[in-house]
Amino acid sequence: MTFPLFPSPEAGLVFAVVSGFGFGFVLERAGFGRAQKLVGQFYGYDMSVFKVMFTAVITAMMVVVAASAVGLTDFKLIADHATSETLLVPFAIGGMLVGAGFVMSGYCPGTSWVAMASGKVDGLFTVIGTVIGAVLWSEVEWRPGFSTFHNMTNVGNFYLWELLHLPGRAGPVIVAVAVIAMAAGCFVGAEKIERLLADRADPLARAIPGGRPRGLVLTGFAALALVGLAALALPTGTQAGAREASAMTPAELAHHVFDSPWTVRVLDVRPMAECAAKRVPGSECVPEADLGKLRLADAEPSRELVIVGPGVAAAPPAAAAGYRGKLSLLQGGWPAWEAYALAPPAPPAPGAPAADVEAYRVRAGIQSALTGMKAAPPPPPPTAAPTGGPKKGGGGCSG
Amino acid sequence: MERDPNKFWNPHLAGVALGLVLATTYLVMGSGLGASGGSLRIGVWFVSLFAPGHVAATPPLARATVAEHPHWLVYELFGVMLGGLVAAYTSGRLKAEVLKGPRISTASRLALALAGGTLMGLAAKITRGCASGQALSGGALLSVGSWVFFLAFFVGGYGMAWFVRREYR
Repeated sequence: MTFPLFPSPEAGLVFAVVSGFGFGFVLERAGFGRAQKLVGQFYGYDMSVFKVMFTAVITAMMVVVAASAVGLTDFKLIADHATSETLLVPFAIGGMLVGAGFVMSGYCPGTSWVAMASGKVDGLFTVIGTVIGAVLWSEVEWRPGFSTFHNMTNVGNFYLWELLHLPGRAGPVIVAVAVIAMAAGCFVGAEKIERLLADRADPLARAIPGGRPRGLVLTGFAALALVGLAALALPTGTQAGAREASAMTPAELAHHVFDSPWTVRVLDVRPMAECAAKRVPGSECVPEADLGKLRLADAEPSRELVIVGPGVAAAPPAAAAGYRGKLSLLQGGWPAWEAYALAPPAPPAPGAPAADVEAYRVRAGIQSALTGMKAAPPPPPPTAAPTGGPKKGGGGCSG
Repeated sequence: MERDPNKFWNPHLAGVALGLVLATTYLVMGSGLGASGGSLRIGVWFVSLFAPGHVAATPPLARATVAEHPHWLVYELFGVMLGGLVAAYTSGRLKAEVLKGPRISTASRLALALAGGTLMGLAAKITRGCASGQALSGGALLSVGSWVFFLAFFVGGYGMAWFVRREYR
């Protein structure tokens, strides 16, 4: 699995500006910086909102479906990360209020920023309104009464394929193909309505009529539906791909545990007594029989799951195989960790390469940290002349 | 290229372009696009200029100040403005004006824009996202809640349209 990339926070902020730029640029070019064009949807003379939104939904959906089918990502992993929980009653009522506010202001929150940027004063007022509204609701949402409404009928992350009781792997693809079929029908209907009302339309807000583009659109949909069907037939399911556990060496595990413990979740599956006596720092003691209780298939998949077993193992325990994130086995199990991290390392021979000396330093540091050794380990023997020659005197900027 | 302010992209092509932007965002960030999330953070920043103690005492406002809150959404809004500005300039649509029909005064139009915006900002908190965050980003990932939002959005829009019909035409 390659995607999502989950970039570092700083890179994420740069990407946010770039993707926002694309978002704003396309919205403006679609005509969504203009209130009349947007509200045309609700007076029947311009169905652009519907067409742009639906085409965008289908395009994004099919990219993720296709990427999942070839094992680059996992539809449900992205969906769990990117979508909110489903709260039926608040969403139905709030959705109607957003729709009403949309017709009153002429914009939705996203397009109001585009309108503001292109000089529309009504867009600026809408932006100010959305900020005020967001703060207003935050003021009351946690108070008694309001919080009951705000949090009612929460069914968690809930997807259309689950609603229809379709299997987890094929479900998203089947629903996606159905959505495409539905959209194609709706587009034909929308253009009929537009033609009926065309003589009334404001010339500024008139949509590009049907004809050749429409033929292309329907052809495109048919092609996308075929991609979906091909995705169904592909044997490489992402679920199957995720089941292969990679091997992690003790040195890699030590690196994670000391430098970035938040990236891993370490499960020690040895018997409780052994694990309670000595274990990898930060690991959870979960005897193999109890693994099922963790419901790893439903667990949050952002951290890499590392299994520490009693010895060499070829495959992860069955209960861990359903984990949707990255899954690793500690190579050699607990004995390998004990030998690497808890036994004093042998000092490198005099004249050993710098890499060996560095590895010794790291291991000695790990060992003293984990065994509580107060005394420093013996210093590494002097090495051959360091590469690059002796440093000249002075220093600073002159060199 | 000639600048024609009345020329727009074909809605389906614009939809494909928007969908590709959205899909890229999924694959890189693991999240979709959003517009209303950033508004709250901007509002909280403004409130904290005058009443920092009040922000700390109100849990939903305080939550928006912690590091885990997706503050990349504010950067995204900055990008949206930049993209909108460039697209408006290059298409000849960059112009300070109030968009309204001939049958409504400027003051009434702006008052309705402010009121509508406030209603949307408030309701988008109830729905945990607006047209971008719920309908678009959640809809493409087949979330039931997003499709409920999508349908309710159109119901609310058609229900309100008659009452403000003089606003635009």
